[in-house]
Amino acid sequence: MLSPVKIWRNQKKIAGLAGKTGRIISWTIVRVPPNGFADQAPYPVAVVELDGGKRIMAQLVDWEDRHVAFGQKVVTTIRRITQPNTEGVIPYGIKVKPI
Amino acid sequence: MSVAIIGVSTTKFGELWGTSPRALAREAVFGAMKDARIAPKEIQALFVGNMLSGILGGQEHLGAFFSEELGLRVPAFRIEGACASGGLALHSAVGSILSGQHETVVVLGIEKMTDHKPEDVAAALMAAGSQEERSSGATFPGLYAFLARAHMEAFGTTVQDLAVVAVKNHFHASLNTNAQFRNTITKEQVLASSKIADPLRLLDCSPVSDGAAALIITSNRRQATGNRRSVTIAASAVATDTLGLAQRESLLELKATKKSSKEAYRQAGVDPGDIDVAEVHDCFTIAEILAIEDLGFAGKGKAAAELERGEYTLNKAKKLVVNPSGGLKGCGHPVGATGVKQVVELVEQLRMDAGDRQVIGVRVGLAHNVGGSGATAVVHILKRA
Repeated sequence: MLSPVKIWRNQKKIAGLAGKTGRIISWTIVRVPPNGFADQAPYPVAVVELDGGKRIMAQLVDWEDRHVAFGQKVVTTIRRITQPNTEGVIPYGIKVKPI
Repeated sequence: MSVAIIGVSTTKFGELWGTSPRALAREAVFGAMKDARIAPKEIQALFVGNMLSGILGGQEHLGAFFSEELGLRVPAFRIEGACASGGLALHSAVGSILSGQHETVVVLGIEKMTDHKPEDVAAALMAAGSQEERSSGATFPGLYAFLARAHMEAFGTTVQDLAVVAVKNHFHASLNTNAQFRNTITKEQVLASSKIADPLRLLDCSPVSDGAAALIITSNRRQATGNRRSVTIAASAVATDTLGLAQRESLLELKATKKSSKEAYRQAGVDPGDIDVAEVHDCFTIAEILAIEDLGFAGKGKAAAELERGEYTLNKAKKLVVNPSGGLKGCGHPVGATGVKQVVELVEQLRMDAGDRQVIGVRVGLAHNVGGSGATAVVHILKRA
């Protein structure tokens, strides 16, 4: 589904999104994952309000149970999103980790 | 000019392994024509609501595809708006009649989902979300889980409150011969079912389904008044919001539901209190709680307690019954068919034709169809002619 060109175009934007802090305003734990995420499940996903008010949805990484909570402070970080597809291009993107 | 519904039909909803999309379309459309007592030559256009045929089945160009299958050879359109595709198809068909372009048209909602692997269906449904949501690893149950978690935090809503919705809708579906699930369930069963996306469990989720539903609508007064069973479309309204859930102003409501219903109430000249029966988009249990609040039937944060008291349950409700068909949860959710099926149910209710699930004394019905996690909402209001 993800073409190498699309990955290349998107990855030019990603560096500018890293290192931003915010807090969790809602969360879930995905136990039945979509294609490409099976090796990571179960995993938490959060809606995060970044400092300044912009809201994003991102997977929570490097977490413990106590971090999956309203108001938890997080920082955006660049991570591999899914297993590489058949073209072998690794899709990177933004995830969040607790701070 | 007013638009009337003169024929309705729905196939059985469920895991229909032996039935093709072509057969589903024939059954629904010819059933609706028979109900309307009109011949195929009186149909001037076909509007098809469908979401997944291209991404799952590799078949696009559904206007011509079903036009050929039905032997209609008329102008034909496929309308897509995720799980609101059916409602949007009806809205577009109503528009074509009000513009004077056509007089009598057929609306077909159809989806075939069980031919495909669950993880492929889950990924295809996420095509209704944003790229950010897909990259986050969220699923559709996950998106509604965010709404559920936020509602719990703000209003003290509990997982028991969510379970009440599933129990009610299975009870209603047990009375519907076309429903996917005819079994009643208990709150304990919901709470013991496997976790899908916390706090949502398997029995909080609508199923993967096959099915089709069709409507014949017309502005032809002879056809409408000659058919004593016709029902008037008093309002047809659509609203949209951000594609991604995170970008919404609030996680405690679906603003598109509020906007589209406000416009629909204005068009129909009614208030929420005038609605006797409603089919709302309960793709997940939390979605029915949000719908009851955002459509104005209950105050914000008040729907769960009213549901618990049976205020929206058949044979218990005093003001209105919600999802007498069993809703998406009990009746099944073939995504493109759902918005059309909701209207079929309302027409049967308004004709007093709904059998065991008949709501007493119905005059005004409302259908609420949502696309994605609330990026599209479609509201129709029907009145007895």
